[in-house]
This record gives sequence, structure tokens and C-alpha cells, in this order.
Amino acid sequence: MAEAATKEKKEKPPEPVLAERLRLEVERAVQRSLKGVELFAAPPPTVGRTAKTVLHRRGTLSLYHYHATADEIYRVPLLFVMAPTNKAYILDLAPGQSLMEFLLARGYDVYMMDWDAPSDAERDLKIDDYVLDFIPDCLRRVQQDSGEHDVTLIGYCAGGMLSAIHVALLPDGPAKNLVCFTTPVDFSKMELFRSMADAKVFDVDKLVESVGIVPADLVRAGFDSLRPASRIAGQLRLWDNLWNDEFVKGFRMMERWGNETLPLPGGYFRQTVKELLRGNALFQGTLKIGGRKVELGNIKVPFLHVIAQYDHIVPPECAHPLVERVGSRDKEEVVLPGGHVSIAAGANAVKRMWPKLDSWLQGRST
Amino acid sequence: MATSLIPDPFQMWREALTKLEGNANSLVTGSMDSQELMRSMHQLSALSLNMQQAFEKAIGGYLARVNLPSRKEVSELAAALQRVEDKLDRLLPDGAGPAAPRPPRTRRPPPEEAAPPAVEAGTPTPAKPARRTKSAASRGRRRS
Repeated sequence: MAEAATKEKKEKPPEPVLAERLRLEVERAVQRSLKGVELFAAPPPTVGRTAKTVLHRRGTLSLYHYHATADEIYRVPLLFVMAPTNKAYILDLAPGQSLMEFLLARGYDVYMMDWDAPSDAERDLKIDDYVLDFIPDCLRRVQQDSGEHDVTLIGYCAGGMLSAIHVALLPDGPAKNLVCFTTPVDFSKMELFRSMADAKVFDVDKLVESVGIVPADLVRAGFDSLRPASRIAGQLRLWDNLWNDEFVKGFRMMERWGNETLPLPGGYFRQTVKELLRGNALFQGTLKIGGRKVELGNIKVPFLHVIAQYDHIVPPECAHPLVERVGSRDKEEVVLPGGHVSIAAGANAVKRMWPKLDSWLQGRST
Repeated sequence: MATSLIPDPFQMWREALTKLEGNANSLVTGSMDSQELMRSMHQLSALSLNMQQAFEKAIGGYLARVNLPSRKEVSELAAALQRVEDKLDRLLPDGAGPAAPRPPRTRRPPPEEAAPPAVEAGTPTPAKPARRTKSAASRGRRRS
């Protein structure tokens, strides 16, 4: 018996797992060297490929209409409002990773308000202009293009805040439903942004007067400072995964999106710092837009708020009060695992947020 | 891959990187409470902005003297041209013939999902408390 055991032991190859692991790592090291060289010469990854038409452009604003792919679509069109700090292609990264593509396939008629860098002439744009000019203008154009009066408004991050303020100020407007993703309301919970915006250390008037348009580098640095080590760690992870084409493709698309953070009109930036971050005016109910007080309780349309559980930009406690404040009877808040971006784009979004959004919209889009 | 008693140094390195990143983020963001640090950060960023502006002004002045447009001016011109092209595209008839008909707006949700919580307008019932749901996947899961 002991002899048989010894024989078995002898037949077993020595540490196959270690050998396999070493072989794999050597293979990856070779791939890293080859692909690392390719990476330097590679053009920026292509993004935003879902077919669309530019319906309207005006300064910083672009309104897109995505081409329907279903044979039959829901009656109520969707109008997305992107945050003015970022490009909307985060919701249309690549085939299979595109919320736009998903919604079109599920039978929705989709429009998007996207932003470009504001021109010098737009340096004084304020939240008022976004809420009372850009959004109503686009709603009118969507109504005209679709032939439908009702429109579902969907806002991402600050886009959600602009949409919510719009519906609160114009509750009898064409917005039939309101959906917000990771939308801030209680700015006292954005502790790092608040300490950066503190009047004792930061003179926002001086900055805005000197630059007019707040440079993209400054906006990006603000976001990066919430997780200062993550950019370097990301580069190290990229090196580690250079052998993995899928990882590199996904990383580069997200990196491009982060690098294309937009500059902000000085007026909008000043208002955000003074009234929202310092005064917490939206939460306190003291925010005035176009001379009128914003009361979230005026929102009566069906309402969905999707919050990211691990959001470091808009922490859940900053977003929770929205569903409590809106006056809709049909209202729901969903907290999903994910970060500020991965809640809407990426593998987790495909599995979690997109199906939830579809199931919520279906019955409310007829 | 099968498990082994010998630790995987590459996996250990990856885990250490994640841990180091988390610790460094916490350390730096934790120290942002300090007004001194914040003030220094803003001063540094203001200095960098001023230098950048001065540089751009100098380059702009030089380009104007040699009658060349700046990159910003070329980008603005390109954007203006793009807007004109987009408008022309919308105004001119499509070479392929009349615009493709749009699909009918008659889609209905699948039967099991057709009924949202029905609320009749003006029904004098008290407002429902907000439904707050946490997905099953979000419970007891770590950062994704």
C-alpha cells in the first residue's frame, strides 16, 4: 500500500500549477512589451458609434437624435441631459457597451443633450440658462421632431439636477416622467468638494474674473483630487493588463472620456460653488433660478432615482434626499452596487442598471 | 487555475496595489480638512493657471505678428464649419431619396410589466412614501 502511494507520488509532475503560472506570466510579459509599443502609436479609441443625427447645435449645446433600430417604438421619446462637465458618449462607448444601443433595441426613441467646450461668448452662462433655455429649447425640438407632446427627461449627475430643477420650475411642461442618475441634492454631504470650495481658502470670483471659462484641467483636477492615487494606480493596472486586449480597450475608452472633461462657463461654476456647495441652497429650498424659488415638491411626474452605492463623487447620502423631496406619488429610488460611472457604463451597468431602467420606463412610455 | 500552496507573487502585487491605492486615497483626502493644505493647493493651481495664461498670451501675440491663427482659432473655425455642414445636411434632401419612414409609436410593454403603479390624477389620497430599494446584488457586496 505504502509502495503504491510512493509510486503515485513519483508519477505526479512537480508543481504543475507553478510551472503553468510561470509560463503564463512569461507569455504575458512578452505580450506587454509588444502591445506597449503598439499602444504609444495607437490613435484614440473610437467612441459614440451608435447612428445619430445632429438635430440642433447652439454654442455649447448639441442635440442628437439616435436612429431607431426597432420596428415598433414606444410613444413617449426619451431626452437625456448630460452633465455639463462631461461628454455624453460615456453612455455610448462601444457596441455592446452602449446604453443608447440597448434602449434603441428595446424600442425607445432616444434624444441626447450633449455639451461641447463653451466659447468665450458663453462665459456668463448660469444654471438658469441650462434650466430655462437649453432644456426647454430641446424639449420643444424633440416634440417637433417626434410629433409627441410627452417626453421622458433623463439626467445624469448634474444633468439630473438640471432636469429636476427644470421640472420643479415648470411642472406643467412636457416632461411626462423624470429619471435621475446619481444626482446631488444635499451638498453638505460632498465634504471634499465643500472643503475645496470653502470661501476661506478659495476666491471663486477672482478665479472666474481672471479666466472667464474655467479650464478643463482645473475641473479634472477637482475630480481627481477625490481619489488622488487612482490615476497612477490605473496606469499600473493598465501595464499589468497590457496583454488583455479587452481590458486595454475598455481602459482607453474610459481614460479618453476622463481626459475629455469639459471646461465650464464661469457663471455656472460660480453659482455651483457659491449657492450649491457653500449655501446648500437646493437642499435648503433657497435656490432661486430665473427669480423663482426651486421647490422640489412641485415635481409631480413619475420619478426614478438611481444611486450608486460606492459613488465617491455624489455619495449616496448626498443623493438620497431627492426622492424624499419630490412631490410625485409614483416615485422610487434604487441603490445599485457600482461607482459614479460604472453605474451607467460598463459590465455592471449592463447587468443591473439598464434592465432596471427599461422595466421602469416600459409601462410609463405608452 | 488550481490552487497551490506556493503564493502567487503577481496576485500578491495586485492586491498590494489595490490596498496601497485605497490607503493613499484615504490619507490624502483625510488631510484635505486642513485649510492650510487647501489654501496651498489653490495657490499652486492659481500659479499654474497664471503661467499658462501668460504663455498663451505670449504665443498668441507672436502668432498675430506673423499672421498665423492660433490652435484655438482654428478649432473655433472648424467647429463653425461643422455647424454649417450639419445645418446643410438637415436642409438638403438626402441623395438616397426621401427620408426613411419612422417606426410606428405603438409599442406596448410585455404583459407582465405593463402596469406601473396606477395613480389617478387629482385623487385626494395622501402621498405614498418613497419606495427605496436596494438591489439584492448590492447587499453584502464590496466595491465593483
